[in-house]
Amino acid sequence: MSTIQRTWKLNGKKVSVRGPAGRRLLDYLREDLDLIGAKEGCGEGECGACTVLIDNEPVASCIVPIGQLADGTEILTIEGVEKKRAGRLLQRAFLECGAVQCGFCIPGMIISAYALLMRNPRPTPRAIRAALAGNLCRCTGYAKIIQAVTLASSRLPVPTKRK
Amino acid sequence: MSKAASQPRRLVGHGMIRVDADGKVRGQTRYLNDIRYRNVWHGVVVRSPVARGRFKALTLDPAFDWSRVVVATAEDIPGENVVHMHDRTMPLLGEVGGELLYRGEPVAVVAAKTLKLATEAAGHIRVEVEELPPLLTLQETVDIFKKTPKRFVSMQDKNIVKGDLAKGFAEADEILEAEYWAGHQEQLYIENQGIVVFPQKDGSILAEGSLQCPYFPVNELNDPLQLPPEKIRVRQTPVGGAFGGKEEYPTMLVGYAALPALKSGRPVKITYERHEDILFTPKRHPVWVRYKTGFKKDGTLTAIECDYILDGGAYLTISDVVMFRGILHCALAYRCDNVVIRGRVARTNSMPSGAFRGFGAPQAIWGIESHMDAIAARLGMTPHALRRKLHARAGDTTPTGQVLSKENGATECLNLALERSQFAQKLRQSSRGKLRKGQSKYYGAGLSFFAHGAAFTGDGEAKFQAKGRVELARLEDGRPGVNIRVSSTEMGQGVHTIFTQIAADAFSLDPARIRYPMADTGLVPDSGPTVASRTTMVVGNIVHRASLDLKAQMEAFASLHFFRGEKARLENSQFHAEGRKPLPFGRVAGKMLDELGEASGFFQFKLPADIRWDQDRFRGDSYPGYSWAAHIAEVEIDPITCELEVTRVTAVIDVGRIINPILAAGQVEGGLTQALGYAVMEKMATGKDGLYDASRLQTYIIPTALDTPAYDIQFVEYPYSFAPPGGKGLGELPMDGLAPAIANAVEAAIGKRLRTIPITPESIFDALHDPSGATP
Repeated sequence: MSTIQRTWKLNGKKVSVRGPAGRRLLDYLREDLDLIGAKEGCGEGECGACTVLIDNEPVASCIVPIGQLADGTEILTIEGVEKKRAGRLLQRAFLECGAVQCGFCIPGMIISAYALLMRNPRPTPRAIRAALAGNLCRCTGYAKIIQAVTLASSRLPVPTKRK
Repeated sequence: MSKAASQPRRLVGHGMIRVDADGKVRGQTRYLNDIRYRNVWHGVVVRSPVARGRFKALTLDPAFDWSRVVVATAEDIPGENVVHMHDRTMPLLGEVGGELLYRGEPVAVVAAKTLKLATEAAGHIRVEVEELPPLLTLQETVDIFKKTPKRFVSMQDKNIVKGDLAKGFAEADEILEAEYWAGHQEQLYIENQGIVVFPQKDGSILAEGSLQCPYFPVNELNDPLQLPPEKIRVRQTPVGGAFGGKEEYPTMLVGYAALPALKSGRPVKITYERHEDILFTPKRHPVWVRYKTGFKKDGTLTAIECDYILDGGAYLTISDVVMFRGILHCALAYRCDNVVIRGRVARTNSMPSGAFRGFGAPQAIWGIESHMDAIAARLGMTPHALRRKLHARAGDTTPTGQVLSKENGATECLNLALERSQFAQKLRQSSRGKLRKGQSKYYGAGLSFFAHGAAFTGDGEAKFQAKGRVELARLEDGRPGVNIRVSSTEMGQGVHTIFTQIAADAFSLDPARIRYPMADTGLVPDSGPTVASRTTMVVGNIVHRASLDLKAQMEAFASLHFFRGEKARLENSQFHAEGRKPLPFGRVAGKMLDELGEASGFFQFKLPADIRWDQDRFRGDSYPGYSWAAHIAEVEIDPITCELEVTRVTAVIDVGRIINPILAAGQVEGGLTQALGYAVMEKMATGKDGLYDASRLQTYIIPTALDTPAYDIQFVEYPYSFAPPGGKGLGELPMDGLAPAIANAVEAAIGKRLRTIPITPESIFDALHDPSGATP
């Protein structure tokens, strides 16, 4: 397998990556960088526990080979999201609403919610459900997660229209 | 001092934020696969390639370099090759010369420095088997049960008998008989199973991993490993969901990992990936349940006869107790003087079925709650009028002869659920197979009503006498605090938080000074497994009493050492005595630790003396307390595609005292969602190849955020007064009763009763287009 050498922006910092092109992004994050917030739940892109943001899009990192990510790719994991205002608001709202039980799906869930709030700061409950449909949770039944995203959204400053 | 200021702060009853949530929302909590172990080898399980066969030989490929791996087979088992769960029939590993009883039955464990190498080596092991004809499904065993009952193999039988069944049928105006089926259900915790075993220098082992019941491996692997309980130490890592799936099965994983670990002297870790986890860990038992009921024209039930057969799989493991809980819930919630319930556990050549939230009760309640609606339809009564008339209440006698106590919210649950959901009106709006004016989809509303017995079945708690401790300790900041030492595990349900609340109230102490370390059998007394909706009720009481015990010791110490004999009391984290300046908790606790070295409070749970239970005759007080619930489901069904949407669920629930309303509601929402999956989505059966026919998340479909309805959840509180703070079972109940409420709603929507779950668009289509489709 060919070896790649790339430079990405990970959680706001430049990282140089070297390795087999087919290596999973999830393994690189967890094994090389000890960024363990992204979890492996199924290994085939179905459960969403490994969700990270790649150029602002939530993606299952278990099915992304590192060779697919060009130089300059921006990656955000839960460890980086908490440095963002909306990320902190989401974390706080998840605590207050009781949206966390076993917690295994929660980093991926917050990443997907963060991506939603970035493109739609005032989502409807239906839009929240649609945005989180790729993140499986077996504990909560989603009710308090949806409530938490709504609460975090209400605390975000009203977006001003760009001119 | 004003009255308000002297009121001790109370946490029980308030929605305190979870003590473990911060690490979880930040992605910092380290589950098993997030822990960096050094020099740990990886284990891979080698399995039977057939569902049934004589195990002829296990051969290692001579061309492969075996020097870098360790292979453990049955020959490496130090003692007797048997794991003692509820019987002593299941080997730890299949043995050459013996019979392999299910596809995937483990025959060897390979360990190597990397998972890749171990997996590669496992592929070079040949398992030679002479195939025998298997019996794969519950359907086949039920056919045998009906046609040639003598040939039916049951691993465990138990009957409940009340009154005179023949007399009951003789008194009946009508008799209704029907059968109900349910398939497998996968727990689908998002964190897969995993265990690591560290062999110790003294020959003992230390295991840690994702599990519910740390004392199970301690007490179940003594024979094969030739280790007494004190030489098997087990501790919990943060658990990413369990739901029963990490109840009995982790014992097997500890056993599998221990063999190469003991053989090689190296730590061995076994973690499953999703496909292996779904294929080779236990599922909820498939069920066939048949009711024959006699009743009068006014709705009085005169006789209930019930056969309840579970698919236990190839070995009994814990299926006896699942069946016991099942039959105890088959006719629990209704008044009837003449009852016979026969429980059986069928043996099939499939993965042993196991624990899953509800533990036999959802299967029973699926049957009886469907059947009650069928009786109502036969009588021309509404489902709620029939239940209002027949539902059990305080003073009534259960099928085993238990008189229900006054701590019983049955009637209030039923009435409030009917009222909140406006059920009578919604039932009138139901389509019954004909779209009404303004309806583009079939609409239906359905009801279920049920109870769930809390804690171990029968005299389980009386015999077990669970223990627990709280102790003074220096916390990580060096200042004194309290550690809760019980074996209940946190797996998402919130026990670390609610026990902190209970202890804080018992002491009258700031919860920030209380810790609840992960359960470790080296450090905690055996307060029992984290199962059976027993934790809040039983172990919560232990934490309460042990805290009061330590508090009394501290007050006596404070009185003697700080207040010159004046009576002291601990309140709001300070010790008070008449005419004295209050002292902070840490001052007294610190001196106590310095002078005594250690101090702890202890409690051992004992049931009231008047509890009676006869296990042989299955008579008496089957559970210490009962939780109650009424559910109403509303569904919409597309008349063309037959797609079904559950649009709203109303749940009114009595689980006794609510310790934390936010966590309690979260338990209910989560349980209802699992029950929704059970009812309409999660389809799984044993295929012809002996494997489950849905074994990946692409084929085994669980509810997503788009599939869950609006939930209206309301608690009514009838606390269990014997065991303060008075919680009854909460964990399992939300899984119990939604499936039949949905099936009843489907019947109201399309006018046909479906007697098999999951109810899929295909099964609705068949019902709508089958002219012979029998109903009710």
